Amino acid sequence: MRRQDDSVRRKALNFEVVYHKFVPIYPLCSPFPTPNSDVNIDFPYPPMIRVTDVAKWYGSIRAVENINFSLAPGEIVGFVGPNGAGKSTVLKMLATYLLPTSGKIIIDGLDVVTHPLSIRRKIGYLSGDTPLYQAMRVDKFLRFCGKARGLSGNILDKKLAWVVDICGLSPHLYKRIDQCSTGFRQRIGVGAALIHDPPILLLDEPTHGFDPLQVLAFRDLIQSLSENRIILFSSHIIHEVAALSDRVLIIHQGNLLADGSIDNLAQKTGQSRDLEAIFAHLVRQQNCGEIAHA
Amino acid sequence: MPDRLCPKDFARGIGVIFTREINAYFDTPIAYIYASVFLILSCSTFMNAFFLNGVLEMAPYFDLLPFFLIPFIPAITMRAWAEEYSQHTIELLMTMPLQSIQIVLGKYLSALVFYLIVLLGTTPIVLMLLFLGSPDLGLIFSSYLGALCLGAFFLSFGLFASGLTRDQIVAYVVAVLLGFAFVLSGHEKVVEILDGLAPAYHVGSLLYESLSIAPHYRAFTRGIIALPAVLYFSLLSIFFLWMNDLSLKRDRG
Repeated sequence: MRRQDDSVRRKALNFEVVYHKFVPIYPLCSPFPTPNSDVNIDFPYPPMIRVTDVAKWYGSIRAVENINFSLAPGEIVGFVGPNGAGKSTVLKMLATYLLPTSGKIIIDGLDVVTHPLSIRRKIGYLSGDTPLYQAMRVDKFLRFCGKARGLSGNILDKKLAWVVDICGLSPHLYKRIDQCSTGFRQRIGVGAALIHDPPILLLDEPTHGFDPLQVLAFRDLIQSLSENRIILFSSHIIHEVAALSDRVLIIHQGNLLADGSIDNLAQKTGQSRDLEAIFAHLVRQQNCGEIAHA
Repeated sequence: MPDRLCPKDFARGIGVIFTREINAYFDTPIAYIYASVFLILSCSTFMNAFFLNGVLEMAPYFDLLPFFLIPFIPAITMRAWAEEYSQHTIELLMTMPLQSIQIVLGKYLSALVFYLIVLLGTTPIVLMLLFLGSPDLGLIFSSYLGALCLGAFFLSFGLFASGLTRDQIVAYVVAVLLGFAFVLSGHEKVVEILDGLAPAYHVGSLLYESLSIAPHYRAFTRGIIALPAVLYFSLLSIFFLWMNDLSLKRDRG
């Protein structure tokens, strides 16, 4: 545990240096109140994303409610839950695609409702549906994403080369997207989310369609990117989340059941250090609570 | 202080969307097919009338143009938003640091340029008239301006219809129905029938004067570039683009 804290702190220090070196236009956020979640996490630095009492309703259907968590730079956070639990809804709200029905989402000191454009400049978002223009060539699509994010000239060329390199896109760079495999399209999506080198990465089911080797490569990529970023990714594949995350958010039926490192959650739930067991325990607990409440 | 963009960034964002969209038109053969069918149908109809009447003017072409635009323009615009929704690329667009109105305007301008390119395909008719004699070039110019205004207006409600649904066919049908409403409300027979249905209210005449494109478009085809006609097309186009923007904002919840 202590080793992990040291690691997070080290990442934070790296963040300070690298962050200001490459992305000087983003000021670090103003001091936030302490996180209000099930598990208190002592951040050695101010959190960059703060979600407070967020709810989202689609008409009369509740998607998520009472969502509270904070994220700080250097963290890889896995968002785990079954299909339809509300993971994508929360990510869409963080990416400013959806507005919260109630509650507050503050990213780097800015509210998603009033400052969506400033926030979008700091976020790289890959939707679960992997939105790509199928008729475009891979390189043209990435250029379009870069230009839409304000990049041009040499900077765009450099970022494009960087993204092509780290996402392994060179074999099919000049192919049309609809001629690429599902796994390759997913890599294009990750590349598009990374093109402006954002300090926050939100990835919804990023390994969907990957073969086992691609999953391993993706883990390495995420690890290499994590030093100066917040990475929040969702998955319903529990062992994938366990393998990659420093911290886990567990969501079920629109409620955030737990927030913490796997060690922390194992300790709290009295389970072994197995995320699947922890998840099953928390879901059972919630279901029992609902039955008792009824 | 909410997000604001400087005019340069605003124009730049529109330009990025415009470039992608205009390339998208020509990336697929469907645009070439639409353009060819439109030009063949509209020009062959004109040539038929031209040889029958034997008069050096383009009036028959511009008189029929609204009826050709009713099915043609919705075919251009139906994919604009419906495809974004069906491919989920709407999420990509709406999470880029662009205002929704920039995206709307980028799409609109690209459709307008595509329409202009198709309209330019009719210039051989002008060249033919010039070769055969001395047509009234002022009248032809004002008629082309009318065709531009008419197309710009059709495109605005076509885009709006596309933004209402995820289904391209539904978008097409809604836009065609709107087109019919705007064109047929200016047709004499339709006005008479509607007036006859409720003589006390003169519904047909009211629609003709307030809603129909006919009196405004006719001004252009008679060689008159009237301010009310320009305002009519401009304001209605702006109205539908604004509605399109609102429908996008509504989707954010």
